[in-house]
Amino acid sequence: MDEKIYILIVEDELEVMDALIKDLEKFEEYFPVESANNANEAREVIDYILDHGHKVGLILCDHVLPGQNGVDLLIDLQQIPEAAKSKKVLVTGQAGHEDTILAINKADLDHYIAKPWTKEQLAEVVVSELTDYVIANEKNLLPFMQILDSGKLSDAMRKNQLTDH
Amino acid sequence: MLSFMNATYKQLTSIIIGLIGFLVPFLIEIPGLSDAGHVALSIFCIAAIFWMLEPVPIYATSMLVILLQVFFLSKQGILFPEASADYIPTSYTEFIGTLANPIIILFLGGFVLADAAVKFDLDKNLTRVLLKPFGSNPKFIILGLMVVTALLSAFMSNTATTAMMMTVILPIIARTQPGDPLRIGLALSIPFAANIGGIATPIGTPPNAVVIGALSTQGINIAFTDWMLLAAPLVAVVLIASWFILLWMFKPASTKIELDISGSFQKNKEALFVYLIFGITVLLWVTESLHGVGSSIVALLPVAALSLTGILDQDRIRKLPWEVLWLVAGGISLGISMESTGLAEWIITSINWSIFSSIFLVIAFSLVAIIMSNFLSNTVSATLLIPLAVSLATSGAAGEGFSLVLISLVIGVSASLAMMLPISTPPNAIAMSTGTMKTKHMTRAGFAVGILGLIMVTLYALFYWPLILN
Repeated sequence: MDEKIYILIVEDELEVMDALIKDLEKFEEYFPVESANNANEAREVIDYILDHGHKVGLILCDHVLPGQNGVDLLIDLQQIPEAAKSKKVLVTGQAGHEDTILAINKADLDHYIAKPWTKEQLAEVVVSELTDYVIANEKNLLPFMQILDSGKLSDAMRKNQLTDH
Repeated sequence: MLSFMNATYKQLTSIIIGLIGFLVPFLIEIPGLSDAGHVALSIFCIAAIFWMLEPVPIYATSMLVILLQVFFLSKQGILFPEASADYIPTSYTEFIGTLANPIIILFLGGFVLADAAVKFDLDKNLTRVLLKPFGSNPKFIILGLMVVTALLSAFMSNTATTAMMMTVILPIIARTQPGDPLRIGLALSIPFAANIGGIATPIGTPPNAVVIGALSTQGINIAFTDWMLLAAPLVAVVLIASWFILLWMFKPASTKIELDISGSFQKNKEALFVYLIFGITVLLWVTESLHGVGSSIVALLPVAALSLTGILDQDRIRKLPWEVLWLVAGGISLGISMESTGLAEWIITSINWSIFSSIFLVIAFSLVAIIMSNFLSNTVSATLLIPLAVSLATSGAAGEGFSLVLISLVIGVSASLAMMLPISTPPNAIAMSTGTMKTKHMTRAGFAVGILGLIMVTLYALFYWPLILN
């Protein structure tokens, strides 16, 4: 695969970032993980990834960040067509009611993970979101059968007018 | 699959080799071959090279084939506006007309039915019901899966059937102990059964269409029921034997597995209408010999009925796999000029066939078709071999007893018996992607099925098919 699909983590606390990266280890081989400490850095990383012809499949974003907060960042990203397709997950304990509603309505938020999370719970969300992402955006689903939800991928292939040749 | 405009180094090299292949016959004089035959050889070369190396999608090569033939070989083309002693140019309508060849329309009908079946989950629900009698013994579950897969892939694409069956077997595999060979047996049973099942009916898989299309240009029409009568008994035997091979190679350790496919038949008005149309169409197809209405004519029924009721709407029409129809049409079209320019005959007569017995020729064509389609697209393998077989039969070079239909059938069937590698067929690629096996497992089992297929094709060609054809 020349074209890579990245997972981006936006998180300012080092321990939390390390924990997330560690819990996502099994995805690294298929989906390289990039990290950013604040909103501006996140934008730079996304630009860099997109400029090099790759994609951002999933953004795991903290809410309370130095500078622009997570929800506002996610809303801003909707302006970039390629980033608008990325699956967006808030990983936070501190987003209030209103912020969360805002994220759902304006940033097309796909999931909310409350801290603290468990490794299994995180993996489940990542698998589910990335499965939806590749079904919507990738032509060839076979490379993802082993890491993502293979049943759902098979069903998507079934509905996709696959032919023999 | 990159487009022509941003080709990689490898693609560029393949394109250049193709162009050289195209130019060579223009530059050198081949004794015994007409001028038009030289041009047909050029087109054959570029098509064969593009189809084999795939610098562009295979259907794009088919489109190129039709274009080149219309440009250079048709009566309206630039090279042969007048008939001459050694070539009577074909009208361009012959070449583009392949797109409406009856077998293409039959396939269109098949696509539309399959699309509607998937939309209303008919394929899944049929699977659920049909699997019930096979119990919970792993051996019989595998048999059940293979029978159902083969049955469905006889009417739907092998690939779509495989994808659907994966949703059935993946949960079973997930519940099975990691070291149990049953996992490999299960994962291989589906693509194998789908590849084999596609042989059973004319619409099962595109190589069948190539064979039937090529024969139709020779004035031989194969009815749906004729094909089934010829092919289905072979499918049954190869399928059962493959089941034994898989059980023997991957002996299940588990003694009991549970299938839990939930769901129920949809019962809304649209779904009921789809079941009705599906039932009527298939029934009319498999009874063609009784009522005599051609299967391509019947195929228009689901196309019109599903469009009129809006079940097949504009979006779904656009999403039909039109490229497969172009692929097959290009193949039939190539056969037309290989015949009419005398190219195929020239290739054939360069070898003294009469020294070979017909059993040798059957084995040789079957073996070449199986080997080729292990590496190339099955449709392409059939497309490249069929014109040679047609000439071999029509020129009489192979002597008495070399039936045109028989050898075409050998090629068409054999093209579907290749399943040694993940690249051999799309169903194989899907099975491999699940990660339940290594390539060597597929290669070993696929080799065994290939050898078995070769033997069965030879036996059928010697004893059964002549019985039906004469």
